[in-house]
Amino acid sequence: MVDTSTAKQLVQAIIDNLEQPVPGRRPVHTIGVGVKGEFVASDVACTYCIAEHFNGKPVRVSVRFSNGLGGVNQHDGWSDVRGMATRFHISGERGSDLIATTLGEFFVRNVDDFFEFSKIAKREKYERRPWWRKVWDLLQLKIPPRNPYPDETKNVDEGALRYANRHRFAQLGIFQVGLIGAPESYARASYHAVHTFWVTAPDGVRRPVRFSWQPVAGVRNTDPKAVPRDRYLFDELRDRLQRWPARFMLMMTIGEEGDALDDPTKPWPGTRIRVVMGTLTLLKVSEDQEADGERISFNPNRLAPGIEVSNDPILEARLGAYEVSREMRGGCPFKWR
Amino acid sequence: MPSDEGVLDRLVDWVHTTDVFKCVASWTLVPYWARRTPVKPLPGGPHPSFQHGDNVQCMMNLIMPLKVKSPIGRAEAALAIAKNKDAIYAGLNNVGTVHFARFVIVGDNICMFSVYDGDFTNYIRDFIATIGEVFNEVVKLVEGGKKVIPCEKNVEAFIQWVHEHDLYQVPDTATDFLRDQEDLKGDRAVSPVDDDLTLLPRKLVLQLRANANISLGSGYRAYPGFSVAQVRKHLKLGW
Ligand code: HEM
Repeated sequence: MVDTSTAKQLVQAIIDNLEQPVPGRRPVHTIGVGVKGEFVASDVACTYCIAEHFNGKPVRVSVRFSNGLGGVNQHDGWSDVRGMATRFHISGERGSDLIATTLGEFFVRNVDDFFEFSKIAKREKYERRPWWRKVWDLLQLKIPPRNPYPDETKNVDEGALRYANRHRFAQLGIFQVGLIGAPESYARASYHAVHTFWVTAPDGVRRPVRFSWQPVAGVRNTDPKAVPRDRYLFDELRDRLQRWPARFMLMMTIGEEGDALDDPTKPWPGTRIRVVMGTLTLLKVSEDQEADGERISFNPNRLAPGIEVSNDPILEARLGAYEVSREMRGGCPFKWR
Repeated sequence: MPSDEGVLDRLVDWVHTTDVFKCVASWTLVPYWARRTPVKPLPGGPHPSFQHGDNVQCMMNLIMPLKVKSPIGRAEAALAIAKNKDAIYAGLNNVGTVHFARFVIVGDNICMFSVYDGDFTNYIRDFIATIGEVFNEVVKLVEGGKKVIPCEKNVEAFIQWVHEHDLYQVPDTATDFLRDQEDLKGDRAVSPVDDDLTLLPRKLVLQLRANANISLGSGYRAYPGFSVAQVRKHLKLGW
């Protein structure tokens, strides 16, 4: 059951931390671009999962790439988490969504953590650290925090660090956010769906899995020392797709007993069985960005039969939060199952 | 005031990227902090685990410093391996759980890098049983090796000795080596704690002072989770 009051509070907590509210837009991942493509499952995918888009026939796909920050100011070149939300269009006008970001692990385990994080990690003044404090950092063998970007006056870095210092489970995610950088292209980053899902095989065997997209073009970030450019990712993608399609491989890692199934802050070891589930081919940036970039609405709980959610409380919370946010911004409703 | 980028500010930003700074810091700040906030060496080998995936394709990275630190010492080690090649390969086939194994000379160290399935002590025990003689020949060229040969007679001491020369394997995820440091100190605190994540660079530097050689992560695997037996069976190579 969707707990709408919690869902509303979650969305409100995000809105409260924005520089300015963004009515009619997403409160996070506000800036994004819709892309059209096709997914073809690998030969083995159907032996692991009965979901329709893994049966090997080409499936139409809508993807929305986004910058993680909330707000209407576009800063492609800033270090930021990027999003890749994918809808596999399956028969009967239905869809199966997979929402992923460039962050390998999330930084909170459940809704209570999220609220605490939202309280601690408020936007605060962010200034260039005075030279003498940088010297003091260096004397302690610390790396001074990065200088603010031009126009950057506030961010959540200090608060997020305070939160990570209180909670070891958050340290990996928050540390990774600090190093994440800016991709040269949306098509040159790996994206991770973070949560555990259960997939059912034709023989009825259910397996806990985690999904990631890996770019065939390879991962590449911009030079962190160069002055960041605010707008390049949309044009880069448009130009790239006019020349040649961009591809991603869908990797599925199978969990083992003892692996964290309901905790998105905990990574799985690299020693788990990993299966290539298929290839996504991005064909073109959609001409109708209002429909395919703005109004389109994803939900990580919208899953084709054959894929189920785990008991991850964050995944569960996202069910309601994304619906509330969709309604608030007038996003396009979409059929469940 | 602090927002303005001044000359001193630019100087500080630049200076810490220079080799001179890194050199001076290595000689002054690193020993200072190592004294103030000592860090113990972390043990080598894979992290203990009961899960299947963690018990196949395990890594061993043995770094054994040669007694004779010269081309002569290195040549002796190379010859010891070369003349026992048949024994080593036959032994590895008999052990049967080894995916890859190779000997490498780096600096004045003879190194053995291998990827094996199953428990570390059993792996070494099997090795002693199948190529103990060869090990004796190599180990006698290594610092402190004398006390554990013949290895067939000093099985437990030999296993311990090998373990001590196996590199610490840094976890795959950036912050997990902090958990290893905490474990070693017996610090199992849960939230809320009072950590300082900005100290991660220093903790890493000091750990690398305590463990000069390390393995970075558990490595890439093309087919994780499969044992030698499974791979050979699937590929119809006989078992
Ligand atoms: C409690 C945790 C979370 C909350 C409250 C939350 C909230 C939201 C909200 C309200 C939106 C806008 C939805 C819309 O209006 O359509 C959104 C978008 C998004 N979120 Fe989350 N989120 C959470 C966790 C995550 C996690 C773990 C991931 C990583 C996989 C993630 C990735 C994204 C992405 C990629 C988008 C943009 C989707 C699009 O392009 O439509 N979020 N989130």
